[in-house]
Amino acid sequence: MPDDVKEFARQAREFLDAHATRAEQAEFRWGQGEDTVAYFNADPPDVKDVKLHAAKDWQRTRYENGFGWISGPPEYGGQGLTPVHELIYNSIEAEYDVPDTGTLSVIGLGMIGPTILAHGQQAIKDRYLPALYRGDIIACQLFSEPGAGSDLAGLQTRAVPDGEEWVLDGQKVWTSIARQSQIGMALCRTDVNAPKHKGITAFLIDMSAPGVDVRPLRQMTGGSDFNEVFLTGVRVPDDHRLGEVNAGWRVAVTTLMNERATVGGERGGTVAEALAPERLAALMRATGTLNDGALRRDLSELLADLLAAGHLNRRAVRAMQAGVTPGPERSVAKLMHAQNLTRAAHFVSEVLGPRIIADTGEWGTYAWAELLLATPALRILGGTEEVMKNILAERVLRLPKEPGIDSTSPFRELPRSGKAAS
Amino acid sequence: MNDGREELDDLREAVREFLAAKSPETAVRAAMETGHDPAVWDQMARQLRLPGLALPADYGGDGFGLTELEVVLEEMGAALLCSPFFGTVVLAAQTLLAANDKAACERYLPGIAAGETIATLAVAESSGSWDPAGIATRAERTADGWALTGEKSFVVDGSIAGLVLLVAQAPAGPALFAVDGGAPGLRAEPMTALDPTRPLAALTLDGVPGELIGAEGEGGRMLSQVLDVACVALAAEQAGGARRCLEMSAEYARTRFQFGRAIGTFQAIKHKCADMLARVELAEAAAREAARLADEAAADFPVAAATAHICSSRAYMFAAAENIQVHGGIGFTWEHPAHLYFRRAKSSELLFGGPAVYHERLLARLGI
Repeated sequence: MPDDVKEFARQAREFLDAHATRAEQAEFRWGQGEDTVAYFNADPPDVKDVKLHAAKDWQRTRYENGFGWISGPPEYGGQGLTPVHELIYNSIEAEYDVPDTGTLSVIGLGMIGPTILAHGQQAIKDRYLPALYRGDIIACQLFSEPGAGSDLAGLQTRAVPDGEEWVLDGQKVWTSIARQSQIGMALCRTDVNAPKHKGITAFLIDMSAPGVDVRPLRQMTGGSDFNEVFLTGVRVPDDHRLGEVNAGWRVAVTTLMNERATVGGERGGTVAEALAPERLAALMRATGTLNDGALRRDLSELLADLLAAGHLNRRAVRAMQAGVTPGPERSVAKLMHAQNLTRAAHFVSEVLGPRIIADTGEWGTYAWAELLLATPALRILGGTEEVMKNILAERVLRLPKEPGIDSTSPFRELPRSGKAAS
Repeated sequence: MNDGREELDDLREAVREFLAAKSPETAVRAAMETGHDPAVWDQMARQLRLPGLALPADYGGDGFGLTELEVVLEEMGAALLCSPFFGTVVLAAQTLLAANDKAACERYLPGIAAGETIATLAVAESSGSWDPAGIATRAERTADGWALTGEKSFVVDGSIAGLVLLVAQAPAGPALFAVDGGAPGLRAEPMTALDPTRPLAALTLDGVPGELIGAEGEGGRMLSQVLDVACVALAAEQAGGARRCLEMSAEYARTRFQFGRAIGTFQAIKHKCADMLARVELAEAAAREAARLADEAAADFPVAAATAHICSSRAYMFAAAENIQVHGGIGFTWEHPAHLYFRRAKSSELLFGGPAVYHERLLARLGI
């Protein structure tokens, strides 16, 4: 580690020692402590609010002490350091007990912030970047539509110029944290006569503007982590446009590259803890299945994949630290993450048997139901498994694109996505 | 993905170039019939100094670690190199190092490092098990040393090894012995092998003079240690072979036309290739990370070694079988190299016992 990095790490520890407590590495005991295994936030609304406040406060504390946007440029409140410093800070912070800032960081700071920085106009960068990284505001991503899922470039939300403003009409869907967000990044159709990738423009919209209507969607876990967002005559000033008119696809690619980097990353939290080898072994011991040969083999298969996925992530981090930019092969990590968690949930359900079809009240059993019900989402969100495989095949293995996908005709002449006419 | 270490890329490039010249498919097929090419073995030692790469400088090696050896083995696996390298440099040399016997290391390792000694390790018997408890070959004290009697099977390069390291039951428990390949009472018969690129032999020992290496009763501990390293080395070969199968499939999918289009435009083929890629990336990461942990003497190295063996075995078998599927009928012919990888994949998966053993090994290493 070079001296300046060592000094940075020392300062990070000094800051964390002053503002947080070290995480207690309590030895795991079956039946003791928290038994939640939740991929999606399963907290009741009042608890969610308290946690959101804590997250915003912690982000502000980080920011005020120079750790809120470590790799960001100083003119917008960043520290002007490298992604390596960021990785180092994150690994040190993981040793401390601090509020989970995922609601702010995954989308807003991880994806929208870098997009604003790369494509935003001056006034927008000045106004929103410091506010985002100080934890004052939260950003969401308004990309998918009912008719534009995997075929994102087929989106139909319209933006029409009107003087110095644009008027937006359409519907977005699968929008995480829309209710907590003050701003949203929306992709809109601005030229139906251009080919579909060349008639899209990106905007930053005020989520409290007239005409923005957020409605929660209830997902199959029972919770509501996603929303529909209806845009009806929403007026957006032209200085809130990201990138050039009709160049929104490039802007979206910036966002999505950051999304795949985030979603494929190692994720801590209750799920990672519950999938630790000793925890799974304890579960088998408690259910009297530890000597079941078939389940032992399933366990080993699962653990080998989980451990190897961990190796893959650590190697990517080390490569980044050595200055190697992660390539599209990072999609493998996302693919494996979804597959591993899915397999884990089904493995655990076999270990639990009937204890996962109804709650007996026993510690650490029915609690797995949330993860089990969340797993179908993992193979869809952030790009479906099928789309990820196409990306790997085309961009890493250089296999030719499917013919017949028309990317040259004007958008208005293309068959509409969505539901087939019957 | 490398982790940004250029010297590893340089090493990989040098080995790849060498193997492209010395171990093309024609050479592999010739070696399947007549055995490895001693001239290539000689050049590997003299020009590239590969046998001694990861051996300590005290014993004539260059003192690099498993990280470097792993790179070499990936390339050898990709090229299906027919060579006593794995038996000599991995199995035999690592066993000598694990034995904590300085005199034996001084006697045998310099010859291995210089490429002068071809060596192997004989553990399994007719059941194929590497569990020391199941070893029936006996070691008995004689007036001037030890005499070994029994049978060994599945001995890698057992027909050509000048030095055979062998685990036998001594009065105080399993122990390691060195036997001269030409010793009286030792007979080596080549076995008909599923994978002709890695020759296996059956040994018969009838009172063969052997030299005790390390302490009597230490055989079990040594084996456990050697198997961790050997699993990583084998995983490297497997990951390399799997990567080559993937490359063959991708190349064919780009250039084979049916229905007027490259078959790689069909998602059925694309997704098959993407699945192979995912498995290969995982196997490589597991093998490389395990090698790194070995060099750091990390406490979780044994877990990483078992993980690498599982992931690479699965990746290679999957990629080798899917490679034939992507090629269709041509992939099923003798003339096409796909079956050579299929054979190597299956034999590597099972060489140390296979899934029935390696899953329990991982759980044991995790204390489960």
